[in-house]
Amino acid sequence: MKLTINRVGKTYADGTEALRDVQVTADSGEIVAVLGGSGCGKTTLLRLVSGLDEPSSGEIRLDDQVISRTHPSVGAVFQEPRLLPWLKVGDNVEFGGRRLTPAERRRRTEALLERIGLAGYGARWPRDLSGGQQQRVAIARALIGHPGILLLDEPFSALDPFTRATQHTLVLDLWREMRPTILIVTHDVDEAVFLADRIVIMKPRPGRVHEAMSVDHPRPRDRLAPAFDLMKRRVMRAIDRSLSEDRPREGFGASNQSPWV
Amino acid sequence: MPDPTRERGPDALSHTRRLAGLIIPVLLALAWEAVVRAGLASGRLMPPPSRLFLTAAALLRDGELQTHTLATLTRVLIGFGIGGALGTMIGMLTGASPLARRLLDPSIQGLRSVPSLAWVPIFILWMGIFETSKIALIAVGVFFPVYLGMLTAIQSVDRKLIEVGRVFGLSPLGIALRITWPAVMPTWVASLRSGLGLGFMFLVAAELMGASEGLGYLLVDGQQMGRADTILVAMITFALLGKAADSVLVLLTRPLLRWQDTARIRL
Repeated sequence: MKLTINRVGKTYADGTEALRDVQVTADSGEIVAVLGGSGCGKTTLLRLVSGLDEPSSGEIRLDDQVISRTHPSVGAVFQEPRLLPWLKVGDNVEFGGRRLTPAERRRRTEALLERIGLAGYGARWPRDLSGGQQQRVAIARALIGHPGILLLDEPFSALDPFTRATQHTLVLDLWREMRPTILIVTHDVDEAVFLADRIVIMKPRPGRVHEAMSVDHPRPRDRLAPAFDLMKRRVMRAIDRSLSEDRPREGFGASNQSPWV
Repeated sequence: MPDPTRERGPDALSHTRRLAGLIIPVLLALAWEAVVRAGLASGRLMPPPSRLFLTAAALLRDGELQTHTLATLTRVLIGFGIGGALGTMIGMLTGASPLARRLLDPSIQGLRSVPSLAWVPIFILWMGIFETSKIALIAVGVFFPVYLGMLTAIQSVDRKLIEVGRVFGLSPLGIALRITWPAVMPTWVASLRSGLGLGFMFLVAAELMGASEGLGYLLVDGQQMGRADTILVAMITFALLGKAADSVLVLLTRPLLRWQDTARIRL
């Protein structure tokens, strides 16, 4: 499913301008990472795409349909797992597939639980799972309806580095099987370079697109390869430029002593 | 070496701990029994346990205790049903709709500041001294905690979970049923329990004002006849009844709260 974010602005009722003139596109099946610090309006952008909020200007389209409310082609994973604590793990996954027939829902839940390494956990309560396991259940819940577009809002930021690396691989595996378009918001350069086909760097106050770049390395990507490091440095330099436009001599590599260059 | 606490298991242990609470009342009762038997006190105003047993047995034999307990229980249940249902429904309404909240909540809060027993005269005037006014009083006692609990619970439902419902395509009704309702359940149950407690309090007030049957009547009767033993038996029955009603409520609502991590309700 092709996502087009066309000159979108968002100003909240209290007058805060969260986004200005944002232009992002993602082709069908593409993984696009939106990268930026806090206050860039990244989460606002995802809320607009999911239909939870409406843009103040511009439009968002999925294929040819303009989004103005929540809609079934979206699957979303939030910063926290946000599982419903009164539903067992399996029922939480099924919750994401409300449009399927009950039999199909159960079948896909079984398959997905197996897929995320939690086969046999369906009858447990969410509280009995670790943070990483809960986040995997949230991913399964988002994917059970085979969404055309998957929104990930810093879903791994609360996890330790070991767990995070495993989740990255899991998401890529699932993406390869189902091919949803993925829009992932993150502040982690490593994560963006590892996952994305394209990286959109944003800058704050108001949130705007600073620069977009393609990551052309074939998957699976090797975090230890020199090319991976080079790509990370390119991204960091772009972040640097976005910062130095507003406040000179800050950020990665702005001074000669920087360890990054 | 075998660990004795482990061998007995956690159940046995907590059982023993619970029994520990009985030590002091049983010792006191035995001591009082001994004092009265030794002739050191007459036991007229504070009858010894043996006399209480005899009185209770006599009341049971006549069927009197059963009649009074049944009358009391019926009133509480009807009053609790009415007050609890109204509190739940109106609390849901004001919790869900800001307009209803602005319109209704100030009045309800105003009524809440009327001391509970101040309702008695007007209820008697309106509804007579028989069952209706008693049940109305109990319902008033139950209504306020349930109403307040429901209102605050709905207002404090996690916005993030509501968003999950919206993203996954639930209608407003679907969100109310599948997100808000289970989320408010723990607070609702807690408010029902405190409502039930208040209901018993109001019941005693109602029965003291004049009744021909009920445990409250038994209290008044004992006072007028100078029978401290009757009064004490009625008081003990009240305690047992209140505890039993609370336990039944907890048992009935337990399946709704099985998912809860903290504050798991114990009997």
